[in-house]
Parts: sequence; C-alpha cells; structure tokens
Amino acid sequence: MLEFFTAVLTSLSTGAIYALMSTALVLVWRSTRVINFAQAGQAVLSTYIGYEVTTRSGSYWIGFIGAVLSGAIIGAGIDRFFMRPIFKRVKSGPIVMIAPVVATLGLLGIIQAIVGFVWGLNYLTIAAPVSTEGLKVFGSVIAFSPFNLMVLISVTLSMILLTILFQKTNLGLALRASAYSPEIAKLSGIKVEAIRTIGWALAGAAGGLAGMLYVPGSYLYPNSMEVLLVFGFIAAVIGGLDSLFGAVAGAMILGFAINFSTTYISYKLVFPTAFVILILVLLIKPGGVFSSKKGRKD
Amino acid sequence: MVKISTNRKRTLAFVLLGWVLLIISDRVGELRQYQGSFVAMYALAIASIILLTGYSGQLSLGHSALMAVGAYAGALSINNLKLHPALALIVAALIAGIFGLLLGFTVARLSGPYLAGTTLALAVSLPTVANQFPILGGEQGIIFDIGTPPSRFGEDFSQYKWFFWISALAALITIWMLSNLLASRYGRVFRALRDNSVAAQLSGINVGRLKAIAFSISSGIAGLAGGLLVMLISGVSPSAFPLSLSFALLTGAVVTGVYNLKGVMLGGLVLVAIPEIAESVVSRIGGSEGFTTTLPGFMVSALLILAVLFTPNGPGQLLHHHKKKH
Amino acid sequence: MIRNTRMKRFSIVSAVATVGALVFSTLPAQAATPGVSAKEIKLGYSGPLTGSAGLVYGKLPGAMKAYFDHINANGGVYGRKIKLVSRDDKYLPTLAATQTTNLVLNDKVFALVGALGTATHSKAYTAAQLAKNNVPDLFVNTGFSGFANKAKYPTTFTILPSYAMEAKIMAKFIKDTPTLAPQASFLIAQDDEFGVDGVNGFALAGHKFTAAPTLYPQGALTPALAEGALTKLSAVPGKPVLVLFGTTDSTATILKAAEKLSLTTKFNWIAGSVGGDANTLLALGVKPSTINGALAASFFPDAKDATDPYVSEFMKINSKYNKGVSFDNVVLQGMNSAMLTVQALRAAGKNLTRAGLISAIESKGADFASAGLVPLNYSGTSRVGYNGYWFGQLNEKGELKPFGGKLTVYTTDSSSNSAPTASSYERKPVPKNGVPTNS
Repeated sequence: MLEFFTAVLTSLSTGAIYALMSTALVLVWRSTRVINFAQAGQAVLSTYIGYEVTTRSGSYWIGFIGAVLSGAIIGAGIDRFFMRPIFKRVKSGPIVMIAPVVATLGLLGIIQAIVGFVWGLNYLTIAAPVSTEGLKVFGSVIAFSPFNLMVLISVTLSMILLTILFQKTNLGLALRASAYSPEIAKLSGIKVEAIRTIGWALAGAAGGLAGMLYVPGSYLYPNSMEVLLVFGFIAAVIGGLDSLFGAVAGAMILGFAINFSTTYISYKLVFPTAFVILILVLLIKPGGVFSSKKGRKD
Repeated sequence: MVKISTNRKRTLAFVLLGWVLLIISDRVGELRQYQGSFVAMYALAIASIILLTGYSGQLSLGHSALMAVGAYAGALSINNLKLHPALALIVAALIAGIFGLLLGFTVARLSGPYLAGTTLALAVSLPTVANQFPILGGEQGIIFDIGTPPSRFGEDFSQYKWFFWISALAALITIWMLSNLLASRYGRVFRALRDNSVAAQLSGINVGRLKAIAFSISSGIAGLAGGLLVMLISGVSPSAFPLSLSFALLTGAVVTGVYNLKGVMLGGLVLVAIPEIAESVVSRIGGSEGFTTTLPGFMVSALLILAVLFTPNGPGQLLHHHKKKH
Repeated sequence: MIRNTRMKRFSIVSAVATVGALVFSTLPAQAATPGVSAKEIKLGYSGPLTGSAGLVYGKLPGAMKAYFDHINANGGVYGRKIKLVSRDDKYLPTLAATQTTNLVLNDKVFALVGALGTATHSKAYTAAQLAKNNVPDLFVNTGFSGFANKAKYPTTFTILPSYAMEAKIMAKFIKDTPTLAPQASFLIAQDDEFGVDGVNGFALAGHKFTAAPTLYPQGALTPALAEGALTKLSAVPGKPVLVLFGTTDSTATILKAAEKLSLTTKFNWIAGSVGGDANTLLALGVKPSTINGALAASFFPDAKDATDPYVSEFMKINSKYNKGVSFDNVVLQGMNSAMLTVQALRAAGKNLTRAGLISAIESKGADFASAGLVPLNYSGTSRVGYNGYWFGQLNEKGELKPFGGKLTVYTTDSSSNSAPTASSYERKPVPKNGVPTNS
C-alpha cells in the first residue's frame, strides 16, 4: 500500500516537471512550428542565472524571479535575433523541417559551452526554500515533502495562469489565432511576429521555472536539463503537440507510466517505457488524444 | 557523336571517383586514411538522412539507433555465425532495413514531429535494450573485427588503408544504387510525396506504404553505415550510438543540402574536419583550462549555425545563385 | 539536361574538396622513437573532459599535468621535460578511437597514460593499433579486469583494482563483520559495467543478496526513482546492509532520498570506491550527518588526510601547479599515476624506448613508490596494478577512518578461485619533495 501510494506521489512530482518542459515545447511549436532543442540550454542558462542571484541575494525567491524573468528575456531574444533571420532564409520544402531543428541544436551547444566556461564544469546545488523531508502520514514517512507540494502548487498555478491568459485575454486570443492560422491572423490586424516572440518568452519563462523547481531536488550542470527535455518532448508528442492541456496530460501519463513500471517491474525500464507508451498512444489514437486539430497524420 | 545515357554517365562518374579515391589513398598518411574512412562512413549515413528527409519528407532523430541495429547485426554475424566480413556488412544493412520496415509501417505514416518524437524515444531506449541481452555484451559491448588486409596487398598495406578501401567502396556502391533509384520512377514518386502528399494521395499513390518503404531503405543504409562505424572503432557498444550521433547526421545533411545526394561526401568531410580544426585551433591559441575544454564545442556549434544561416540548402545553392548572376 | 550538368558539377566539387583536404597531409616521418627528443617526452591522455563524465573525471589530466610541471621544474626526467597532450573523448567510444589514433599518429606521443573508461578505451586500443606500434598504455583507469590480459593488450598496465575484486572483498568484509553478517543485504547498482561487474563479483564470492539487485539506467536515477527504491526496502526488519555501486552523483541521489524518507539510520550503507567520494557527496548537498558512519571501500589513503605523507606532498604540488582546483580522490589518483609514470620513465633509463619502458615496469614496477595502501602487482607475467581494498567509515567531516580503528587491507584477484586475504603490505616512503630518484 505504501509502495502504491509512494508511486502515485512520485509520479505526480515527476510529471509536474515534465509538464513544464512539454508546455514550453508546445508553446514554441504552436507559434513557430519548431521543435526547440535549445530549450534545454535556455532552461539551464536561466537556472544558472537563478543560482547566481540566489547565491548573491541569499534568497531562493529572488533567484526564482530572476530565473523566470531571464528565461522570458532569453526566449524572446532567441526568437527575435536568432530564429527570425533563419526563417527569413529558410522558407519552403523539407529544409524547413530540418534546418531550424539543427539551428536550435547548434544553439544548445553554444549555450552549454558558454555556461561551462562561465560557471565551470562542476555540479552545483540550490537549496530548497522549504523542507525537503517527507511528510508523516499514519506513522510512516512518505516520499512527498513540502517542497514537492510547492512544486505541484507552482506548476498548477502557472498552468492556471497560462489558461487564463490564453482563454480570457485579448493577447491569448491573438496567440491562439496566430497559432491556428498566421495568414488570417495577420489579415485581421494581429502583429503575428510580435505575438510569436511572446510565445517564445512564455516558453523561456516555463524553462526557468522548471529549472528552479528541478534543481533543488537534483543538481545543476551544463547538461542537467537534457534528459528532462527528451521526456518533455515525448510528453508533448503524446499530448498532441498543439494543445497545452495535452502537454500537461502527456507529461502526467509519462510520469505515471515510468514510475509505475519501475516500481512494479524493473528500474531498467525508464526509457523503454517512454518508447512503448509513445508507440501505444500513436497506434491507438493516431488522430490525437488531446490534439486540437488533425496534425499528426498526413 | 555517341550519345551516352544519363545512367551510364552516372556510373562512369562513380567509377572515376572511385579511381581518384584509390590513388589518393596511396598518397596520404595513415591518419588521413583513417579519417577518410570516417568521411565515407558519415557520407553514407548522411545519404540515408537525405533520402528520408529530402526525398520523402520525414524527420528522424533516431538514426543512431538504426545504425546500432546494423552494427550489432553485423558484429553477431561475424562473431557467432562466422560469416565473411563483407557478408556481415550486407547482413547489417538487411537487418536494419527489416527493422526499419517494421517500425516504418507502425510510425512512418506519422507527420514530422511525431515521427521525430518516436525515433528520439527509440534512440534513448537503445542502451537499456542492449544491456538486457547477454549476447550483446552489455555496456562493454562486443568486438567487430574485420581482419587484417589480405596478404597479397603486401606488407606496407596498412589496416587504415584497408578500412578506407572498404568504407569508400561500400559508400560508392550504395550511393550509386541510391542515385539510380532516385532517378527512376520511384524517385519521382518520392518527390511528389514530399512536395505535396495530399496531391500524391489523390493521384493514387499509397502514401503510407511508400513512406514506410523510404524509411526502410533509409534504415538499411544507416545500418550499413553503423556496421562500417563499428568496424572503424573495432567494436560495438551502446554508447557508440548516442543521441548526438543522430544530431550530427542531421547537421551533415543540412551542410550537404537535403536535396543534394551528390554532396554527401562534403557533409561527411565537414563532420570529420570541423572538430579536428576546432581542436587544433584551441591547442594553438591555448588559454585557461575552462576555455580550452569548452571552445571546441562552441566552435562546432557556431559553424553549424552559420551553415544553417548562410547555406540552408547546402553549398549547391550557393553555386546555383552564383550561376544565376551570370 | 541542365539538371544533370549541375549534378555533375556538384560531384566534381565534392570530389575536389575531398581530394584537397586529403592531400594537405604529410607522410609521417619515422623517427627512431616517436615522442622522445633530447629535451622532451610527449605523453598522451584521452578521456572525458566535458559532458556528464567530464564532471567527475575532468580533473584527472590537470592533476597529472600539475605533477609533471613539478617534475619539470625539478630538472625533468634525465633532463627531458614531460609534455602531456590531453584530448577530450566525451566518454564516447568513437571519439576515444579517433582521439587516441590522433595522439599516436598526429601528436606522435611516446606513450599513453591514465586512459579512462572501459567501453571507450577497449575500442581505442585496437583502433589506434597500440599493440602493433608497441605504444605503452600506462595505468589505465578502469575497473575492467580484461585489460590485464597481456595476450590481448600487450602494452597495457592497469592500475585500479577491478570491480569484481571490489565486490569479492566487500562480500568478505560483510561476512567477517559481526554487525553486518546477520543482516539482510541489498544492492542498488548502475546498469552498466560498474553495476554488472559488481553483481558478478558478489556472485563469485558466493554472496547472496536478500532480493535481486536493483539496476537503474546510467544517468537516469531521478530522486523519484531513488525514493521508490528505498520505500520498498523500508519495511525490511533490522538494519539491512545496502550496497551502492554507481557514480557519486547517484550515491548522493540515493542518500538524499534516504534523508527525505528519514531512513538515513535505517541502513548500513556501503558505497563502492567509484561512488564514495565524500567531498563530492557533501558538495552535492548530502548532509554531513547522513554520511557519518557510512562504510566505503578504498585502496588509497583518505584524500582529506593531510597527515598522510603522500597526500600532503601532493597537496603542496596541487596548490602550486593546479591553482583553484580542490584536492580530492580524482586529483590524488591523477598525481599518483603521474608519479608512477615518472618512476617508470626513470627506470627505463636514459636511452628511452617503448620496449624499454614496458620491460622496466615489468621488472621494477612492483617496487615503485605509490600512495596506494595496497601493493602493485606488476611483473613479467602480471599487468595488474592494485589488487585490494581497505574498509573505512566516514565521519561528519567526510574523513574516511579505518573501520574498527585498525587498518585492514584485503587483497584478491578477479577470478573465483581465491578468497580475499588480509595483506601486511608496507608502503615505500614518499620520495623527497615528491620527486622520484629511482633508476
């Protein structure tokens, strides 16, 4: 029973972090149709900035704000000064599918090299702002700490904020319109390019948030977000890539699948589980479990 | 004037290229022969990406895993079935092709990012799978020994030259076959598929099946490249096929230009040369340890971005523009 | 038709580019002994400098270089200065093969020293044709016992005890320790060479774990997984023995999970030598109270023990030539390998050849001064370096003190035939100023 309970709780905390990464990838995908591998670099860079601010100010929360803000600025900057010139040159054909992906991979390498040069190739840690000791339930300590609770609340809150932004504001309408059909959006007077940059900024902020919530339970080093990016991407694909709700649901499906298969079958199954779940989802519902439009099949 | 058919011209060009490579291999040192073998191997792997992306419009992030399938198949057929190495390389291509076909029928009908996601998941699961079966040798892996060059070539015939001959020959033959295929009816169908899959479907092409076939051929070529790769490093283990290898192949394809099969040699050359150049630059300028360890990665990435920015369709595009101006 | 001429032009362009690049090369000049001149000896290192493995082992070549700089400042080896060329293989077999080939053919090093990683170096050894060129392959830093096979790796000398030896000695230690022997025992290990060789070693020693070992994929042990694994074991009665065979970051993740679940005192922790570096554990945020009392295996003195003559000598060199780098097990290992290298070069004599270096280690290597508390086993037939361990208990400061207050060193081999035995080995004193004068 304790085992089952633990598996549920750890699935939730794992899934929450995946959800932030998959949301970030979906935000970029919706606005730009790019799988942004630099997301791992952006997240790690803004987390290093968060680390620096935390160390200098002595407050996790100031560092937290620093990471999220710098994440947004870096995201917007990358779209404005990096992706835009690339899309000016790459317009049609299969190259559109591959060149931006390769460009974001190059960017990932550059960010990791810079981070490694500035902060060195060591493991760093950021202390959690609240206790990381497991809560006591009916006399036994469970694998769920106040910090895990904080992670869940932060992720839930940011998802609610994002939903409000998308559903209830004019900006959200513009974001949705330009994701659905950039041409029509442009005709109806929406500044599609600026809106796109906002999408990147939101994604960058989500990456910074993910880093500040992930690192206190783990470590910070130039490659520390790579595995998260892989899982975030798989989660986004499970969720249908176009839907924010799908991104979160995909992350939770993945979190639960991995934690349950490892708890009850074998710890070796971390990656194969991700692969099998993905294949199963795509086989059973190729039209998209949570996809808002038929995008995954030609 | 005797008219020579296009096919013959192509064959002639390949024979000529082979002959040039043969002469070169005699004039260069062992290190260049070894690097040349890597160029040929990468060229082959890049060709598999170009077929997949440039001709059938699919994106794979898991070609490292397909190379691994070929590599393990080849190694097992040498070690356990005692097959001749040449046969083992063919087995490598065949098994990877069959694997690709199975996978292709499951996922190749998916559009861009979904296929990318699935292949990515495949690539990261590979080490775990390899560790499950004792016959695959776990983390340590198993050896892949192609043997020493035949004694009739003489004592001075180095192992590296032998590697180069095998890699270059395999690459030339495969790419020749592939370019014949692409010049045929199939090539036109693939292009139709890539440019407008809806129109292709309306004109009676079974899109799903063709994509699966393209995926399968691409896997087979990747499997052969995988076999060559582990020949060059003398053994196969999961860590020889990291995700970064998949990414490197995409890079090579972009540098080559995804429509341009003839440029693959250049793509292979770039993959081998750029890290070398970066390291020699770093060792020349020196500097603090943090600087010298991070600079090569920085330079490789920066060149990659410059390539995408300035020649997104490969160097062929530059020539093309140049010609237009005249 | 236009299309075809263009294609042909591409093919010519690519052919010319290839030819051009290949022709800009020089035929290797065949010197009598590559890498040795009147003034210099060139050595090569290939290992991870960047990437995840670089985080742990990236300090190794820097430590070796610092020691060589110290020797160079003290007259070098018979007047020759030692130059170390390091190349980054990112822990990838393909890069290891090309970088090592580059060291031999391009940098023309005299010998390789300290190569790190099993899956990487085993391929690099064949690809770079070290056997054919008789390139000495000194003090290979892996726990893979296969490198000691002289028929397969005729120029290689290993230094670390194998993982199998470690597991065998651990099994013996558990059996001989009254507080551990009756307890249930479990193994959590990385699903790669560390873990799998460890599992095999325990099997060789006849040790039966209470449950099948928990193996997790390398680099994928998340806090959630570690918490799940410990939760499973929390109901086991008594104070079970929990052996951790993995890299230090994984050990830290597991110990932090134990802190979260209030299970730090529930288990008798035993960390393998690879994953038990206390400095790193503390730097990764493990609480001092958690590591207090944990057991760890080692063949070196404690890197924090400044009273150890070797450690204090190396610390001096580190602060002078390796500025800003903290002294830990990896630095100790690097300096020790470098000191062995210098002794080997001296033993090979003024007329330095590759064959001479190899036979010098075979005939005199067992007598080299080394920081290890375990004997070196080099001989005409043996390429094994250290072959044993001692067990210590960590305190809150992360110092490793001999278990039970008395240092007991066990030695063994990688096979099943022999049981580990207690050793009475006495180290050679550290050379004055850390500069060997042997011949």
